[in-house]
This record gives sequence, C-alpha cells and structure tokens, in this order.
Amino acid sequence: MDLVRHLRYFTVVAEELHFGNAAIRLGMAQPPLSQRIKRLEEELGVRLFDRSARQVRLTEAGRLLLAEAREIVARVDRLHELAHQGQGTVLKVGVPPDLAAAVLAALVGGFRAAHPDVRLMPTEIWTADQVAALAEGTIDVGLVRHPVAGPGLRLGRVLVQNQGVLLADDDPLTGVGEVHLADLAGRELLLPPMEGEPGWHAEVLSECRRHGYVPARVHEGTGLGMVLAGAAVAFGPRADLPGLSWRPLLGSPITSRVSTAWRAAAAPAEDGTGGELVAAFAAVAVRALKENAGMTDDGGVPARRVSRRPGMLA
Amino acid sequence: MSAPDFERIFRQAGVTGWLHATDIDAGREVGHGADEPLPTASMFKVPLLVALCRQADAGLLDLSCRVTVTDADRAPGSTGLSAMRDDVTISLRDLAYSMISVSDNTSADQLLSRVGYAAIGAVLESFGLAVTRVVQSAGEMLASMSADTGHEWPVVEPDDIARLGALDPARANRSTPREMTTLFGLIWRDEAASAESCAWMRTLFNAQVWPHRLASGFPYDDVSVSGKTGTLPTLRCESGVVEYPDGGRYAVSVFTRSFSTALNQPRADAVIGTAARMAVDHLRR
Repeated sequence: MDLVRHLRYFTVVAEELHFGNAAIRLGMAQPPLSQRIKRLEEELGVRLFDRSARQVRLTEAGRLLLAEAREIVARVDRLHELAHQGQGTVLKVGVPPDLAAAVLAALVGGFRAAHPDVRLMPTEIWTADQVAALAEGTIDVGLVRHPVAGPGLRLGRVLVQNQGVLLADDDPLTGVGEVHLADLAGRELLLPPMEGEPGWHAEVLSECRRHGYVPARVHEGTGLGMVLAGAAVAFGPRADLPGLSWRPLLGSPITSRVSTAWRAAAAPAEDGTGGELVAAFAAVAVRALKENAGMTDDGGVPARRVSRRPGMLA
Repeated sequence: MSAPDFERIFRQAGVTGWLHATDIDAGREVGHGADEPLPTASMFKVPLLVALCRQADAGLLDLSCRVTVTDADRAPGSTGLSAMRDDVTISLRDLAYSMISVSDNTSADQLLSRVGYAAIGAVLESFGLAVTRVVQSAGEMLASMSADTGHEWPVVEPDDIARLGALDPARANRSTPREMTTLFGLIWRDEAASAESCAWMRTLFNAQVWPHRLASGFPYDDVSVSGKTGTLPTLRCESGVVEYPDGGRYAVSVFTRSFSTALNQPRADAVIGTAARMAVDHLRR
C-alpha cells in the first residue's frame, strides 16, 4: 500500500471528523475513502476512528498517531517541493565583470518579474569567455561586447553607448568640457583585459591611433585605482565617482556596442522553453540596458569625417 | 557656467585680446571685448569677397572673366601673385582663391578695383554691420606704413608702430569681433549671397593654408577649420568657422595686439587657437 497517501487520507478525515466532507475535500467518493481508512487501520493494527457513535471520533491511538501522520505528510510534501525546485528551470547567464551593479540588479529583477518560476544564474565573465561558455553550454545566454564572433553564435538587438573619458580630478584636461582623443597624448590607458575582450581592445586602440592618441602603455583591468592616481585614463559611460572626473569625448569616437548572445542550437531547447527564456532574457536585457545604463538602439556607424586642411599635403 | 578666463590666457601669451564666438545655428555666444572697433589688416578681404559674390550673383561681374596682372599692378606681399615675377592671366574666381587661401594682396587689390569701396559699404550696411568698413586697399595699407614711419619694412620699433595709421581703427579697414562672426555666420547660413556663392566662399576659407592660429586650437582630423587671418606689426587676428563632427558650427573671431614688437611670436599666434577652443568648448557645455 501507499502508506503516505493513506496517512494523508487519515489526516483529512481526522480534521473533518466526517467521511462525506473529507471525501469531498479529497475529491473522491466516500466508499473508497472509508475502505482505505479501514486498510490503514489493518496495516497499523489499531483502530483510528470510533464510528460507533453518531459522530466520527478519533480513538486514543488515532489521536496519538495523527501528529506523526501530519509530520510525515508535511515532510513528504516538502521533499517533493525540494525535488521540484532542484530540477526547476535555471537560466545560466554570462555578464561582463565590469557591468554596473545597478544594471545587473535591473537584469535580475526584471527577469524575476517576468519569469518568477525561473532562476537566473549570472556569472561574471568577459566576452571571449562567454563565447567559449556558450559553445560548451556552460551558459545559456550572454551579454557580450562587440565586435564579437563565434561559430553558431546568434546575437540579439545591438545597443550602443558613447563612451567618455575618466580622468583624475587634478588632470588639467578636466578644465575643458569635451576632450578629444588627441588631447590624451602622453597619458597611459586602462582597458579591460585583452584576453577577455579582444574585439573591444582592438577597436578602441585603433580608434585611438586614428584620432591621434597612441597610449604609451595599456594597463589591463577594471579597478580604477590607476585612474584615481592619475597614472592612466579609462573610457566608460558617464559616472560620478569621488576623485574622478568624467568628460565626453569630442566627436564620440568610442562607442560601446553590446548585445545578448546565444548559440543557434540552443533555441529551442529540448523542453521547448529554452528559446523562449533566452528571448525573454534578451528583452529584459534591452530594457535594463536602456533604462539603467543609458544605452540606445544602434543608429549605425556614422561616416568617419576627416577635415581637409591644405597644409596636410604641403 | 561662467565664461572662460580669456584675460588670463591672452596675458600669458603676451597679448591683449578681443574675442567673439557664436553658435551659428543656435545663436549662443560668448565674448571678450566683442564690440571693440579694431583694425582688420587682411581680414578686410572677407567683406570684399562677399561684395564680389553679390555682384556676380547680380550679373554685374563675370567670375570667369580673365584679367592679366602685370608687374606694375603688383602690391607688396610674400604670397600668390604678389610674389611672382611675370605677367599672370587669371580669372576673377581664381584671384579670389589666391586672395583668401594665401592672403594674396595683389589679387585682393585687383578684385577691389573692380568691386569698389561703395559696393562693399552698401553690402555691409545691408547686413546691419555699423563698424565694419573697407576704406583702403592692401597696397594703400602697406604704403601707409612706409609713409607713417619714413622707412621701408621691417617696422619693429615701438615708436614707429605707435605712428601706424594701419593700426588705427579710425583710419584703417576695421571691424569688431562680433561683426566678423556675424559676417561668417551669414556666409555659413547661405545668407550673405546666393547659396551657390556662399558654398564657394566656404570652400575658399576652408582652403586657407595657415595652420598656426585658429586651426592650431583644433588639432583634430574630425574638426574642420575655415578662416581668414590678418597680420600687421603687433596685430594678429583670425576670423572663421569651426565645424565639429556632430554638426555643430561656430563662428569665431579673435584679435590680438602683442606687447612685444617682435614679428615672430608663435605663442601669440597659438593663443588665437587656444582662446577659440575655450570659447567653442564653452558654447558646447
């Protein structure tokens, strides 16, 4: 016999002290319920209910066993709940380690609101590692910096953000409203690690070179200590940080481009929901990046302008 | 946002400075002695070019018309036709190119003799520019220096310089920083002459060769600088337009008088660019 199920019938009848009402609560007919209680009594070798009077009453043995039965039923319920949670849907997400805390919070919060039953598991890894993790299936979806490429990689809507420059408060350049890349000459540059962000690294350095800034040295990392110390400058979105000044870059030469990424084979997943979840995450990401990181839709790369000065070819 | 400390950077460069800058499209402006009447030196070629265009637009002049400039026609000068030795046959259009791109005095005077002072004055008045006037040719301006000092070039003695009528806005070609930026604004907004003529004038100012003044303040490939310089002993100026990659257009005019009479003063040239950059940066904040 299914002891747990019989114990559950027992607890319900004990609460109702009425076989008819208990049967209704359990969604079954009364005779089979009576039969099963009888079988449980046989199994345990005691009488649980006194049916002699007009009313159904718990026997002394029944009263003693009820608490234990309730405990067993509750524990089994909990066991099932845990088992269900354990195999509950989890979306593994890769995000760049330098993603602002507020943006990550908006991502997690936004996704939880849309899919309360799915757990979001973010891992902080750089773009190159996300591409590898997507291929290996270690993550389901990523938030990557462009330019990025990988076999079988699908990319979501690209959002853009013009980057400014972070300078130490005492840098003379903080005296101007806008800084041109050429003005940064002589300063060292802090960038995210080249191994993790090879595309971004190459793009930023080539834009710098093109605009007259060849950093004497490129430091790799995300901590702004070097910038605070006046030993390097860094590019990033508008930020209000103690000891640092942010200035827009004249001509907006450096533009961060970000999108979600997933592997083509992953959508739709075997349970038929993976693709939907990735799509849902992509939608939440677009909203969070727009609302919390000030990113905008990609308006295309503006034509590069080079002013013609007669002295250039003289 | 308070205006930049122009006084300080002019002083650091050893000059007294006057400046006006305006956003050509939005009208925001910043100035430092912007309404001071000042001698224009070679910047008189700007209103001359505008008057030339108005006459061409009206059919009074044919810019493709060729003229022959002989040695007897030459005005003093170190560039363009002024520096050549033989007769030159050239169109009025190309005289204008030489006048603006390398500040050729001979080309300017050839055009001036055809356009006339009265026509230039009428154009300036129609624009509501009350101070700006062209009253002498390049040749007359340079001849006045010899007459005032009693000797030929160079003029570097402070006493000589004090006597120069070419530096006296009451007697010489003159304007103000604000009126110069107004003139450039009209050219850049296609309001100074026909749209076609304005477009051509813009290409001429953009072809000016000098990198040491206005352009030096914007040493960036993606920023375009067009303008016209003016130079006389202790006077260095340039007016023009700075165009930013995002489409922002700013007319800027900077006049300086150096404390020293030395002819070579790179810092005095460069401060024109530095002050202009500060002004444009201020307008963009």
